[in-house]
Amino acid sequence: MDHTELLPLTTDAAGERRAAAEIDEVDLTPVRTYWQLVRRRFLQHRLATIALFLMAILVTAAVVIPLATGDAFGRTDLTLINHPPSLIAPLGYDNIGINIFIRLMAALQTSLMVGFMAVTIIVVVGVSVGAIAGYVGGVVDNLLMRLVDVVLSVPSFFLIVMLVAFFQTGNMWVVVIAIGVTGWTTAARLVRGEFLALREADFVQAARALGVGHRRIILNHMLPAALAPVIVAGTLGIADSVVVEATLSFLGFGIQPPNASLGNMLTHAQDYVFRNPILIYYPGVLLVLVVLAASFLGDGLRDALDPRQRLEA
Amino acid sequence: MAIYVLRRILQAIPVLFLIAVGAFFIVRLAPGSPVDKFRGGRVSPEVIANIIKLYQLDQPLPQQLWSWITTFPQIWRIDAWGYSFTDGKPVLQTIASRVPLTMLLMGTDLLVTAVVAIPLGILGAVRQYSLADKTITVLATIGYAMPTFWLGFIIRTVFGAQLRWFPLFGAYTLGGDQSPLDLLWHLVLPASTLIVVSVAGWSRYMRSSMLEVLRQDYIRTARAKGLASSRVLYKHALRNALIPIVTLFGLSIPILLAGAAVTETVFSWPGLGYLGVQAVITRDYPTVLAFVMVGGIMVILGNLLADILYAAVDPRIKY
Repeated sequence: MDHTELLPLTTDAAGERRAAAEIDEVDLTPVRTYWQLVRRRFLQHRLATIALFLMAILVTAAVVIPLATGDAFGRTDLTLINHPPSLIAPLGYDNIGINIFIRLMAALQTSLMVGFMAVTIIVVVGVSVGAIAGYVGGVVDNLLMRLVDVVLSVPSFFLIVMLVAFFQTGNMWVVVIAIGVTGWTTAARLVRGEFLALREADFVQAARALGVGHRRIILNHMLPAALAPVIVAGTLGIADSVVVEATLSFLGFGIQPPNASLGNMLTHAQDYVFRNPILIYYPGVLLVLVVLAASFLGDGLRDALDPRQRLEA
Repeated sequence: MAIYVLRRILQAIPVLFLIAVGAFFIVRLAPGSPVDKFRGGRVSPEVIANIIKLYQLDQPLPQQLWSWITTFPQIWRIDAWGYSFTDGKPVLQTIASRVPLTMLLMGTDLLVTAVVAIPLGILGAVRQYSLADKTITVLATIGYAMPTFWLGFIIRTVFGAQLRWFPLFGAYTLGGDQSPLDLLWHLVLPASTLIVVSVAGWSRYMRSSMLEVLRQDYIRTARAKGLASSRVLYKHALRNALIPIVTLFGLSIPILLAGAAVTETVFSWPGLGYLGVQAVITRDYPTVLAFVMVGGIMVILGNLLADILYAAVDPRIKY
């Protein structure tokens, strides 16, 4: 199948360059840059494209709707208890007169915020530890990898419950930090592996021979080459973090009412399961959508970022 | 092999030591104290001081850490893991009494998963892109995306609360005769929760592992020389496709433990995970610390088991 019409601008530019190359014999300009190839490969992955679209909708809704409605996610109106769906409340009102849809969106915002912030910590800590271990090697590498072993050997969910319960139950930042400090090991291992291989690569040797400093070699030369697996792990990590937050909140360790979280909405729904059983499904369906979107996005990115799967241009 | 196992166990000791130190400091440096619940009420300050003395909370931290770490491995003593702050029973005894229930839950899960997920995975790989494969893929993807706690919650609500087919919580009927039949009756819902999640995951792993093997040259050779396709599948392909599955199993122990802990909490199944979460809520330090150590030992043993099984099923691997 011919996909050249997908990117008419680049093909034209490349065509011009090719025409020029016929005169100059050798053309070293790549026909497509790495990121153009990534975009093409990603867009060919149908499920990943749908996932990107879904994630965009979820993020937009989670940002815009709570902004537009202000504190309505916690406002109770006793005259509207169990009111059926209407235009301003597409899912109706719950047993204490809260607009269910607006509360769901506020909860989604909390979940996504926790997910993105936890993944930021995971990536920053994981990349730093992995890069240092892989670049320096020797004793430092050995020590850092033993630290990874220790963190990996404690069932992480329980460690998170412990941190959250002991330090401050109900504080979103504690939840974020707890997920972050227990989750960085995979990213660290991935980056370390890449760095060990890249350390001896020709372009790194060349940079070193030119007298480039360590910091610059790590940040400008090696990190971009090692980032692909981290992007994938980070995307998949969003799904995990969102689920962990919801689980914590459901069990009563995470976000507490009146703040909304998909987990604590389920705790609340549990008490009214006979009068309004549908309430136990909404937050869960949103969770499943977030998880599915993040997983397929991660899968698509993995296929798109891997340069070994070069697409025939 | 024996030397390898021994070396691995020796390597585990410093890791366990660091887990012990880390867990101890998390527990002890966190704000709050187990005697907080007595403060401000009708309990006199002298009694609180006595409790602090009784639990040795007045000693310097390094000394507490030392006395904990040195007594912890002496599991032949009933008080090696200390006494619970909540019910005063020896922690070792309480944990030992909870292990069988967690094992029952996880064992049922693993058994049913193996029996269901492996054939599903093979079916999906052999008939790739067929209607059956696509149905399994869609269901497995949704099952895998469902958070364990939500799935458990729905199962409990629908089959426990609304339809009333199965009990809502616990391992035995209150005031019942504690018969094995009663136990199995209570096991159905929590086990089903774990089974749905793990079947979804393992059938995917099995499918991709089988697909990987079926693409290999030796399978084409086996087919080319005219072997029956069942022989190719079950004798040549399946054995090799199971190798990564066996390894993954050992490595999935932490995930299994976490899933079991969440499920146990949702169904109040009195296993290890439920005990651990309750101990955290009540700040029962000895139980929390013992639970972390037991979890750490199980994870390390799981990794070791993965490597040993790897060598056992794959003759190319030698240690």
